[in-house]
Amino acid sequence: MKNPSAATATNVSKIYGHGDSEVRALDNVSVQFETGKFTAIMGPSGSGKSTLMHCMAGLDEMTEGSVTIADIDIASLKDKDLTKLRRDKIGFVFQSFNLVPTLNADENIRLPLLLGNNKGNEEWIQKVIDTVHLQDRLTHRPSELSGGQQQRVAVARALASEPAIIFADEPTGNLDSTTGNEILSFMRKAVDELGQTIVMVTHDPVSASYADRIVFLKDGKIAGELLEPTPELVLDYMKKLGH
Amino acid sequence: MLRIALKGILGRKARLVLTSLAVILGTAFLSGTAVFSATLNRTFDNLFSDVFRSVDSYVRSTQVIEADFGAEERQRIPAELIAMIEAVPGVGDVQADIQAFARIIGKDGEPLGSDGAGPPTFGSVGEEFQGALWTISEGRFAAGPTEVVLDEASAKAGSFVLNDKVKVVAQAGSREFTLVGIAGYGDVRSPGGATFALFDLATAQEFLAKPGFVDAILISGDGSASDEELALAINAAVPSSYKTETLTGAEITKETQDQIGSALSFFSILLSTFSYIALGVGSFVIYNVFSISAAQRQRENALLRAIGASKKQVTRALMIESVVVGLFGSTIGFFSGIGLSKGLSALLKAASIDLPSGDLVVPSSAVVNTIVVGLIVTVASAWLPARRAGRVPPLAAMRETAIEVVALTRRRTIFGLALIALGAASIIAVTNGVSNTWLGLGILFVFSGTITLGPVIARPVAMLLGKPAEKFRGVTGTMARQNSARNPKRTSRTASPVLIGVALVTAVAALAASISTQIDGVFTQQFKGDYAINTNARGFGGLSPSLADDINALPEVERATGIGLLTVKIDGKGQNLTTINPATVEGVFDIGLTSGSYADLTPETIFVSQQYAENNDAKLGDTIAVTLADAQVKSLSIAGIYEFDELAGKYTVSRDLTKDTTVITFDLGVYIKIKSGVSAESARTALQAAVDKYGQGTLLSKREYIDLQSGQINQLLGLIYGLLFLSVIIAVVGIIITLLLSVFERQREIGLLRAVGMTKSQVRTTVRWESVITSLLGAVVGIVLGVGLGWVIVYALRDQGLSSFSVPVGSTVSILIMAFVVGVLAAVYPAWRATRVNLLAAITTA
Repeated sequence: MKNPSAATATNVSKIYGHGDSEVRALDNVSVQFETGKFTAIMGPSGSGKSTLMHCMAGLDEMTEGSVTIADIDIASLKDKDLTKLRRDKIGFVFQSFNLVPTLNADENIRLPLLLGNNKGNEEWIQKVIDTVHLQDRLTHRPSELSGGQQQRVAVARALASEPAIIFADEPTGNLDSTTGNEILSFMRKAVDELGQTIVMVTHDPVSASYADRIVFLKDGKIAGELLEPTPELVLDYMKKLGH
Repeated sequence: MLRIALKGILGRKARLVLTSLAVILGTAFLSGTAVFSATLNRTFDNLFSDVFRSVDSYVRSTQVIEADFGAEERQRIPAELIAMIEAVPGVGDVQADIQAFARIIGKDGEPLGSDGAGPPTFGSVGEEFQGALWTISEGRFAAGPTEVVLDEASAKAGSFVLNDKVKVVAQAGSREFTLVGIAGYGDVRSPGGATFALFDLATAQEFLAKPGFVDAILISGDGSASDEELALAINAAVPSSYKTETLTGAEITKETQDQIGSALSFFSILLSTFSYIALGVGSFVIYNVFSISAAQRQRENALLRAIGASKKQVTRALMIESVVVGLFGSTIGFFSGIGLSKGLSALLKAASIDLPSGDLVVPSSAVVNTIVVGLIVTVASAWLPARRAGRVPPLAAMRETAIEVVALTRRRTIFGLALIALGAASIIAVTNGVSNTWLGLGILFVFSGTITLGPVIARPVAMLLGKPAEKFRGVTGTMARQNSARNPKRTSRTASPVLIGVALVTAVAALAASISTQIDGVFTQQFKGDYAINTNARGFGGLSPSLADDINALPEVERATGIGLLTVKIDGKGQNLTTINPATVEGVFDIGLTSGSYADLTPETIFVSQQYAENNDAKLGDTIAVTLADAQVKSLSIAGIYEFDELAGKYTVSRDLTKDTTVITFDLGVYIKIKSGVSAESARTALQAAVDKYGQGTLLSKREYIDLQSGQINQLLGLIYGLLFLSVIIAVVGIIITLLLSVFERQREIGLLRAVGMTKSQVRTTVRWESVITSLLGAVVGIVLGVGLGWVIVYALRDQGLSSFSVPVGSTVSILIMAFVVGVLAAVYPAWRATRVNLLAAITTA
């Protein structure tokens, strides 16, 4: 039986500094991300949305609380095992500088597999490449690809190892809206047609409306949730939250 | 702008240190060499002023034969002069001096002092005298034919104490003496590592030289006349037929100091040549570091341009930085050099070469020289990067990437190829008979051309060398390979110091291998016996000629013959003649006689080489006037011509030539043929017994002997490797600095890789392989150049009898292995730094 939750955060806090200068970037946050769903995390700058993602993805250490990814408690992992977890169980899409400039598109897509000396599922990889329409760009270096193509390669890389969960941090932040929508459609397709789990951090209501569910953060705390969002609903909700 | 430049420097202290490191290393050797040489010179000067302090006049022969390498052989003077001089008014005390070959045999039967290349082993006179060179520190001076005094260092080295029996080998054979005293020379235990056995005058004359003769006479005045007056008086008292000269104490001190000075200057020139090579290698590193740091600051410089700084101002800011780095680096380099020179002295002391103790001499010229040269090299190396920095367009400030622009121009390819072609043409011209000086130019062109082409060949060669890394290391190998090829200019600049070092080492190794092969061939051709007795006392002392006679008398021996060397003057020039024993040489040592027979070689005749006969149009019956060291002139007629001149040289004479003269001859080798039917074991036992009787010389089989001769060149090789070591260190530091800067530049990339699942050990692997590929790139191209260079040098030496070229396969393989190891070691720190990249900061900076 598959766990309905791909990633779970329980009472996670992230505190910077001590005493008077103490800043609570995350304050006792508990949240679950369902398997096979596309979830967006929204919130104003400094709300802790990126910090939450970094802590859940094992990129940053939390001060308190626990996080499980694919039933693994990541707080107890050493650097080496954490690295392996990121490689095998987590996919990443960042806002910019997603690709290794010395590797071509195909090698970038397979990078986590190659690092793990893992052949991967070739049928799956071909399917992923088809989904993001990259068949004729595979031998190109990142410098020979447009911004949109680069992000498609990044999405394909995140999918290639069939991870338990994909974290995307403002994946369309550097793109024009047409190209951005194209990327978001691919991510939607990855969830709907390939059964993947995606968590995306964004501040854009239109991007967030591609998700199945939106989690709102404010001042390091969960401020609310929205299911089946549309851009209008998101804007309304944001007004309600006071920004 | 000055303030901005200075702030920029202080704001990045780590970079300042990195950049300065190359300058420090380059200049440290320069100042170390200068300080070491000056200190050595001064201490020897002081030593001789001290030693000759009470010598007011010095009488010696005017007859000198100057041989190769500045060696000279001065004729002896008759001992009757002593009495003549003692009678001169103003003379206080007189002492005869003899300095000749003598070897002290240790208690274990092995001679003291190092063989061959080491300091000489002397026998001399030690007697009570006002102006004595030697001062007794224990016991007393020797008196009578059975007593000896040793210098302190030798006594200590041989663990001799007073009343011990000491065996000494000299011209007259091997004898045992009783140790009655231990003496110091000035304030040192032994002069420059030489060993000394001291006797009374009569014993010294008879045992070391010839009875009735001395080398020089030392006079101490009674104070009634000035040194100059005394010298004039003595000169007047000695009949001119003795052919002597009288020097004042000051003159002989100065002359001795100058002699040592010129011997040391050879050493200093050698050291400073290699320190300049090291500095040249260092300049590549400096250039590289400035290029990279200018590229990494592209945005900063573009910003300065955007807000109104002129091209000139941006360039000037970097030049100011280079002046600061140059001054800072060479100042530290200068002081490190002083430490280095102390280390050098300690090293020599550890090798039991006891240098006179003295305070460190830091000549002001060394200070100025080191800092000025360091500054010039630094500023010159920074000039191109600084100009490039000035040309950055203001718009670059807005651009995302700030990585060094990689544009390989056609012009570079053409220019590089043209240089190589020009070099090749010069070399080919030389092979067709143009003067050898073109070779140097040709080599320089080929080197410059290769370095110009570096960025063009760096990519394909790095990709090729990286193939195995990719195969064995998967994607980390691929990335290492791509990283080493992604910026060919940087890679080639990093590899260039390795290239230069490796090319020089390979060329030297190729030369050595060729010489070695040649020597092997020559000895195999000419040495027909089964055993040889070898001595390493090159040009100074050797085996007693009676050793060969003794061995000839052994029942196991078919025939044994000694071969020696005699320095004479022919046409006013010093020449080395080979001495043979015509009665025994045939069938044991072959000089390839083409006309005449060994029986024709008498004290009245000479053999010459075919080459000599052709060059001088000489034929049998012609006469050659030979002036012996005792000024006797012998007119020798040519009685034979021989083909093999590699060992025998131009002239060969009978060892009986000097029989009735004061000239002493030694054999340098004894060659032995064993009677058939005698077992190797019994032959060796019998021969060894004969050798042991003399306590000198090493018995070797034919193969051992030939290997030893052909292997001697390796000693020289070791020295040169040692001197090139500093260049190699600088090359390694260059790789370290470049890798560090590259890691710094690729922080985001490394962060990304860590985020998507690269382990720390994989990060290290990537950096390590990049380093190995870069190092191998330099090594491979360097080996190719070095083999070529070696061939050219061997070719240039063809007139010196070097006819075959050998590729140093063993050395080449070890250089490749070393380059690999160097690559791995250089990567240790940068790889560690790479794993410390802040993952989050790397991926979140926009």
